[in-house]
Amino acid sequence: MRQDRNRDLGPFVPREGDERIICRCEEVTQGEIRRAVHDGMYTMAEIRRYLRCGMGLCQGQTCSRLVAGIVARELGIKPAELAPASSRSPMRPIEMKVWADEETDDSKVRRA
Amino acid sequence: MKRYDLIIIGAGPSGLSAAIEAAKRGMKVIVFDENARPGGQLFKQIHKFFGSKEHKAKIRGFVIGRQLLGEAEKAGVEVRLSATVIGLYPDKEVVVREILEPEEGTAGETSAKEAVFHYKGDAIIVATGASENMVTFDGWTLPGVMGAGAAQTLMNLHGVRPGRKVLMLGSGNVGLVVSFQLLQAGCEVVALVDAAPRIGGYGVHAAKVARTGVPFYLSHTIKKAEGTDHVTGVTIAQVDSRFQFIEGTEKHFDVDTICVAVGLSPMSQLLKMAGCEMDNSGKGGGQIPVVDESGATSVPGIYAVGDVAGIEEASSAMIEGRMAGIRVAEYLGFDDKAGADTAFDQNEKALEGLRQGMFAPGNRGKKIEKTEEGIPVSENLLTHGFVADDEIERYPGVTHKAGVHPVMECTQNIPCNPCQDACPKHCISIGSNITSLPVVLKDSACIDCGMCVSSCPGQAIFLVNEDAGPGKATVTLPYEFLPLPEEGDEGYGLGRDGSRVCDAKVVRVRSSGAFDHTALVTIEVPAEYAMKARFFVKA
Amino acid sequence: MDESLRIKTHPILGDYTKGKLVHFTYDGRDMTGYEGEPIAAALKAAGVMVHRYTAKRHTPRGIFCAIGRCTDCVMVVDGEPNVRTCMTMLKEGMKVETQYGVSSKPFADEKQ
Repeated sequence: MRQDRNRDLGPFVPREGDERIICRCEEVTQGEIRRAVHDGMYTMAEIRRYLRCGMGLCQGQTCSRLVAGIVARELGIKPAELAPASSRSPMRPIEMKVWADEETDDSKVRRA
Repeated sequence: MKRYDLIIIGAGPSGLSAAIEAAKRGMKVIVFDENARPGGQLFKQIHKFFGSKEHKAKIRGFVIGRQLLGEAEKAGVEVRLSATVIGLYPDKEVVVREILEPEEGTAGETSAKEAVFHYKGDAIIVATGASENMVTFDGWTLPGVMGAGAAQTLMNLHGVRPGRKVLMLGSGNVGLVVSFQLLQAGCEVVALVDAAPRIGGYGVHAAKVARTGVPFYLSHTIKKAEGTDHVTGVTIAQVDSRFQFIEGTEKHFDVDTICVAVGLSPMSQLLKMAGCEMDNSGKGGGQIPVVDESGATSVPGIYAVGDVAGIEEASSAMIEGRMAGIRVAEYLGFDDKAGADTAFDQNEKALEGLRQGMFAPGNRGKKIEKTEEGIPVSENLLTHGFVADDEIERYPGVTHKAGVHPVMECTQNIPCNPCQDACPKHCISIGSNITSLPVVLKDSACIDCGMCVSSCPGQAIFLVNEDAGPGKATVTLPYEFLPLPEEGDEGYGLGRDGSRVCDAKVVRVRSSGAFDHTALVTIEVPAEYAMKARFFVKA
Repeated sequence: MDESLRIKTHPILGDYTKGKLVHFTYDGRDMTGYEGEPIAAALKAAGVMVHRYTAKRHTPRGIFCAIGRCTDCVMVVDGEPNVRTCMTMLKEGMKVETQYGVSSKPFADEKQ
């Protein structure tokens, strides 16, 4: 859903729990996420790129729901109104050497 | 690139069930699963399942898992393990990271060689399941705070207790069932806590935890996990109706483990990536694909079944899987419409059976005041985990008779009826409506065989003899812990709330193959405790 | 180390089928576990709670999801960092080390 970028969110007011880690992988706190919204990051995609939350090893498995809740609350909307971040391959952590060395023939033997 | 008639992502209950139906109809099916073992979460489920025969009721989850694997093998399903699907594309192509056979001379190397392979299917079924939700509190990243699923994995798959003293957050079925499993594994559960004002899961699951003495704290949540390098304690506090902490209500527990069971989210990213139309409204537990009754998404040939299409139970996931497998076979011409319709309708009926009662998907979040029979629901059960002594008599399964007779403390309408079939003397009736509360038929005589006690997945049936000699009564209760009490053991009878209510002596202990690891312990108690003592602890 | 977290006999599952007893090292200490069980299970049985310290804040982490999703239990295994110990099976002679950031070298400010 498109967000109204001209809306006035009011000043950033520190809140209890701002020091708490939300994205465990990239160690992003509630306060950082809330501040990012006030900095103009209104979508999950923007928040991800700005703070890297949800872009660590686990790819947002644990935190994406939590981050969406914080962003939505800051914007004064329901989490369901927030467009979810895009889904892209690879869905699980993979080493670049494996990702790039793509097997196109079936000559290699797979482990049963 | 290899081609298959059908590619299934996820070898859990729904994925395997879909694979079986499709393969039985002659399709070439492959199932990818990122885990080293198939079966999804089924092998961690060690309790007896609810439902009726067609839903494999009273069979333990891991046994159902074994049956499914056997069925899949017989049907010729290829299951590829440690194979992680990392991409799904709209033209029904999947990209899979697989482990290669180690080359000569590299044995002993930690990281097995991995490579990426491409597959194409004429149809795809996504059965990726769900992941656990989390709540945050101070100290939630400390080692010792873990998902309830993690505790379950450690105990039931690997035989390792997650800790010694555990606090459980979450009173849904996962929190209740895992609490019981922690007790079975020999852990101490210091408290079961939920921010909600009422217990979310089945009352019978709560009751079997409460009667062992685990206190329930509803309208409470975790304020802080304590410890510097790992969890050494936890503080909980009461919350108001707006979930704000109430000052001065803090309680501290010494624990080494905090388990979090606050719901599941569908792992639907692959479907979104493939361009399937998604429903982000939050119904179904999170972002779910828009599907029809056969699991078909908006992209022709791509289906979604099980928890990824909306959080439910394993029992319903298996049926959903079968329904999709049947329709996929028809879609690709492996079955005619008439044949598919018959099989589909049969499964649909079974699924409807499971989606009834107080906990039906349509009732999620609603407070139900009365049973289908018009009996008020026990308020104490919803807020403390057990039916109070002065509430229990109003349920139809609780009656008084001379001699040994079943007392069925089944007080909520859930789709479950194994007790009705278990009694060889037909003492118990549920009737054709699977969610009805069980009743004791007056004109039939109990032979004290114990089959009803062991068949009840909720462990809610007791055999009571209110007059077992002068001033004495006997109570036979289901017992799934070690060490098993022995005849002659002296101890205490615990009430439904887990408190010591009377002295008790074990007069009989029965375990047999027919009881499937639910032992029957008969205790002798003073006559006035016949309807009060519901658990036994040795002195 | 205390081995008492292993369940000897389970009321429903009976005895667990385990692979052969193998030796491995954890931060240089000799330990035993069973071949084919996750490294994390062997460490848990031995009472090890901390698997790593995070890169930014140097805070401890341990087993969190136990099914390969959250990647909190990663350690340095046979010299390779970011190995998910809940998904990687134990083998004879493995060298398992606490991970600091992405290496097995403790942070300067961390007491060992």
